[in-house]
Amino acid sequence: MKLEFSKTNALILGGGCELGIVLGRLMISSGLFPLMTFRSLEGEKRIASALQPFSGQYASGFLDFAETASIDAFFSRNTGAIHYLVDLIHGDLSQLVASSGSRNISRFYEENVSLRAAVLEIVSRRMLTQKFGRLVYVSSTAAARPHAGQGFYASSKLASEAIYKNLGIELGGKNITTVVLRPGYMDAGRGRAYAALNRKEILEKIPIKRLLSVDEVAETIMFLISDSARGVNAAEIVLDGGLCAGK
Amino acid sequence: MNKFSKIQEILKDILDIEPEDVAEDTYIIRDLGAESIDLLELAVSLDTAFKSDLTSDIVDDDLFLRFMREYIMEADGAGKNRADYIREKYPFLKTARIEEILSDLDDGPVLKVSDIIDYIAWLSKDTGAKTHERTG
Repeated sequence: MKLEFSKTNALILGGGCELGIVLGRLMISSGLFPLMTFRSLEGEKRIASALQPFSGQYASGFLDFAETASIDAFFSRNTGAIHYLVDLIHGDLSQLVASSGSRNISRFYEENVSLRAAVLEIVSRRMLTQKFGRLVYVSSTAAARPHAGQGFYASSKLASEAIYKNLGIELGGKNITTVVLRPGYMDAGRGRAYAALNRKEILEKIPIKRLLSVDEVAETIMFLISDSARGVNAAEIVLDGGLCAGK
Repeated sequence: MNKFSKIQEILKDILDIEPEDVAEDTYIIRDLGAESIDLLELAVSLDTAFKSDLTSDIVDDDLFLRFMREYIMEADGAGKNRADYIREKYPFLKTARIEEILSDLDDGPVLKVSDIIDYIAWLSKDTGAKTHERTG
């Protein structure tokens, strides 16, 4: 099946990560124009290096949820249409609930929930003027499976999921829809680092006995933004090889 | 096209109504049945339609008089004159309109098409834009 896309412009929040770059490539090869955000010089360089053969077929810009001013600056510079949004941004706070520190918690929720909502307000209003929008929030199975040290990460994921799902309910009638994707352990970034230390234990829990590849997660995201998945709205899709289905 | 005609056209499209359903004196929620999603779309459409004429961004809470009742309670709580307090909070509303609103609160949401026109005019370059923030 060849995926069809009725619109062209995509915004990838967190485009400098491994998944973001693979996704950017897939979008370009599908005729989409991705605008990819980065929050560090390393991220900017990764995007420029990986997408060097596709000059002129993508754009990138600085946006960091930890810097409120960067949000206004980013959207002031990038005033064009945004038809698709894929949100890969998420900070980490691995702390036990009983030893977290209130200042850390406040800052974490500000960055990972409040400012995400601020970005969604800007993007969804722009989508309203276009009378089209498709948003995919890449969450995590951590939202469904409590684990020591992941309480704040999971709760901020759940809060963000709720915001996205609500957006899909509120604006679904205006042709703006949302979907939450919950990948399980992925062979990239934090998942790869964790798996390197806990491989046997992790694989025992996953019925397919392997980590997810970056490519298959990116391909699933492409399906979710495609015209074929238009009916999926305000829902969460689990992509975890069966991890969450078991005991 | 003047401000009223533009707003009339926008409301017609959003609410799927006839142009003659919209007059300056029409209540947007009471008469036209606009819901919160419609108001959101109205704010976005006004921003697009008038952006080049405005000196600052449209603030939805001001545009739709969202804190009118809270401001009245604040005025009462502080022993202030209601009309003066509302004029301070919503400087785009004319004195006669404020008096009308204060006598009209029991019948439901007070927002009229004329309030939208006055807000847009107040933000327009030709009248000099001002901004104010909700306090209290």
